[in-house]
Amino acid sequence: MTKDISTKSQITWCPGCPNFLILEAVKRVINELIKEGNKQEDFCIVTDIGCNSKIYDYLNLSGVYGLHGRAVPLAEGIKIGNPKLKVLAFQGDGGAYAEGIEHLIHAIRKNTDISLIIHNNEAFSLTTGQPTPTTPFGKKIKNEEIKLEPLNPIKLALSLNAKFVARCNPYDIEDTKRIIKKSILFKGFSFVEIIQKCLIFSPEMSIFEKNFYKIEDNKRLENAWEIANQWNYSSTEQKIPIGIIYEKN
Amino acid sequence: MKYHILIGGKAGQGINKISSFISKLFSEKGYYIFNYRDYQSLIRGGHNFNIICVSEGKISSCEKKIDFLVCLDERTKEIHKEDLKKNAVILEAKEFENLKIDVNIALSIKLGKIFSFEKKDFLKIAEKEFPNKKDLISDLYDKIETKEKLPLKKLNKNIELIDGSKSVAKGSIESGLNFYLGYPMTPSTSLLNYFKEYEKENSLRVLQPESEISVINTALGISFSGNLVMVGTSGGGFDLMTEGLSFAGQSEIPLVIYLASRPGPSTGVPTYTSQGDLNLALFSGHGEFPRIVLSPGYPEQAIKKINESFFLAEKFRVPVIFLTEKNFAESLFSLEKFPKLKKIKIEREIPGEQIVKNSSYEHLSNGETTENEEQIKENNKKRIKKEKEILEEIEKMSPIEIFGKKDSKNLIFCFGSTVNVIKDILTYEKIDAKVVQIIYLKPFSKKIKEEIKKSKNIFIVEQNVTSQLSRLIKENTLYEIPEKNRILKYNGRPFFYDELKEELKKRIK
Ligand SMILES: Cc1ncc(C[n+]2csc(CCOP(=O)(O)OP(=O)(O)O)c2C)c(N)n1
Ligand code: SF4
Ligand SMILES: [Mg+2]
Repeated sequence: MTKDISTKSQITWCPGCPNFLILEAVKRVINELIKEGNKQEDFCIVTDIGCNSKIYDYLNLSGVYGLHGRAVPLAEGIKIGNPKLKVLAFQGDGGAYAEGIEHLIHAIRKNTDISLIIHNNEAFSLTTGQPTPTTPFGKKIKNEEIKLEPLNPIKLALSLNAKFVARCNPYDIEDTKRIIKKSILFKGFSFVEIIQKCLIFSPEMSIFEKNFYKIEDNKRLENAWEIANQWNYSSTEQKIPIGIIYEKN
Repeated sequence: MKYHILIGGKAGQGINKISSFISKLFSEKGYYIFNYRDYQSLIRGGHNFNIICVSEGKISSCEKKIDFLVCLDERTKEIHKEDLKKNAVILEAKEFENLKIDVNIALSIKLGKIFSFEKKDFLKIAEKEFPNKKDLISDLYDKIETKEKLPLKKLNKNIELIDGSKSVAKGSIESGLNFYLGYPMTPSTSLLNYFKEYEKENSLRVLQPESEISVINTALGISFSGNLVMVGTSGGGFDLMTEGLSFAGQSEIPLVIYLASRPGPSTGVPTYTSQGDLNLALFSGHGEFPRIVLSPGYPEQAIKKINESFFLAEKFRVPVIFLTEKNFAESLFSLEKFPKLKKIKIEREIPGEQIVKNSSYEHLSNGETTENEEQIKENNKKRIKKEKEILEEIEKMSPIEIFGKKDSKNLIFCFGSTVNVIKDILTYEKIDAKVVQIIYLKPFSKKIKEEIKKSKNIFIVEQNVTSQLSRLIKENTLYEIPEKNRILKYNGRPFFYDELKEELKKRIK
């Protein structure tokens, strides 16, 4: 029997937002893990501030709704303070790659056993669509063209010797579920990026979705770099690998 | 008997080492010690000095004028010749030039012999301080001659030398602290160092995250998951934490924040003292939420008050700011009795056992977000109501302390470690006054207004430019301390006994 881990909070995402799919994937993960013997109380979610972070209100799990950019140290603290908890942190690309990037860098070094799930919609959505460090080169926002090359977070993570690096397609709920579950079971810091189009502020990301292709779980570092280099976060031509890009044995 | 010994030299010449050696010689015999540290923000060179006050009676301050000048370099004599009392004795390193790095030991022995310490006294201290120099000490003791001989008593006192930081560290551990987090910044660094030192023998973990922002967010996570936590910082580091402070206010995750002041604004004067951060402690953070701000004066009080801080943070689920200054944190005091403390237990719900949700958003009682107008209003009322409840609780905890002539009509207000010098002056000089140390600065005790009513002339002594404590008193009692009654010092140095005595005598007839 599946356990209902929803709450009574009214969901305020835009109709059709892929955040709904991410929520569903997370629910499935938690349910599977409960079936495998965990208790609902064993989980703890930590969120940032942004559309992504509303997930806090929609899951009946322990957690803290933190500050913008600061979900990572908060999650690390919870895990350090109570190592029995399975801690999942949710951030947007704004929170993770702009406001709080220092924490991401150090969290990878510290390798605290938490799963960081980043909803990358290449925009500050909750504040109405301003550019983030992963906004594509050449994108027009209110008649202004973005002239900065986007950050490649996968390469950043690999360069810091991240031990679990994955990218998800939210429309493939089962695969997203599989990857998030693996990230929770992985002992150490895991970095999971979901390429989540925002219907309002980054609809152009639809083009990227056509380029998604699934890779096999990879455990070789050289391959990981090769996979990371396949997409530069701007190109509408390049193939976009989806899956576990690197998992250290 | 009361003597002042100044030990000066360059950073790296072991000034603290010999100060501690000399202080211990005296405290072993039951003398009271106060040791002021004056050092620059550099690692080698410059000019640093300590002033040790040795006294038969209780003392927690020092004078500027000195009886003994111990010079580890030539400049010390030059710089401090103005500060010498008549008949002051000067001990110079050049007398022991051949000893190279051990010249500081030779100077300590020479000073000790002037005070008639015996060889066994030196060897006893050396056991801990310089275990591999015992032969040298024994040898030097036989060789060094002194003209002066002062009588030494054996006083029946059991004195532990402790600086402010160490007292906070020990008090916290006795309270049951599980985690301390800090990012190095003078003058809070010494607390981080003490905790690091004590980490192994106690069930304590010390973390140094990547920034103060990370410090406070990590700490809130640790607290949420069921632990007693403290963070420590100074001016600029505290500024970085203030978003987290408001977060603690909204989420009601308990946290104790240790804030040690130095002169600002900005980087300011890192290794000197100030009381310029009172307003910061009182008003920092956005939005309105209850907080507790308290400031101890001396180690025994700090030990009790840090214990109360943890108790109050847990009981009321509010941030508690434990405000100190460099003059408290890094000065060495004489502690006679370590107070007995209660271990603080965590009685709130914790994740793992229950579903617990805490939020930085305005929220329902189950932790989920709300924008409902009634709920927002109720939550604000509920949070602010705590201020009253906290006040009731702290009224039972000695929120103020009074020293001097208790029935005097002349009242001096102060906070923090400034109380020590005033208390000493009122103990040893004929000045008709009492001093009220405001320990709990927020919430503000009703006893303060009563004290004002009982007094005729009211003065204030504090270490900042704008008299921040006057403003706080006025805000809470409507009484404004006249400008001419404000004794303010803001040059980075603490009030010295002799200097403040003159000021008080001028004003209080
Ligand atoms: C310190 C701070 N700065 C700014 C904000 C305003 N803010 C709220 S959400 C947001 C951006 C969110 O973007 P992202 O993290 O990508 O999340 P998304 O909404 O796209 O899911 C910002 C800047 C804030 N809450 N706190
Ligand atoms: S603004 Fe974008 S990210 Fe936010 S809920 Fe709407 S579609 Fe989703
Ligand atoms: Mg975003």
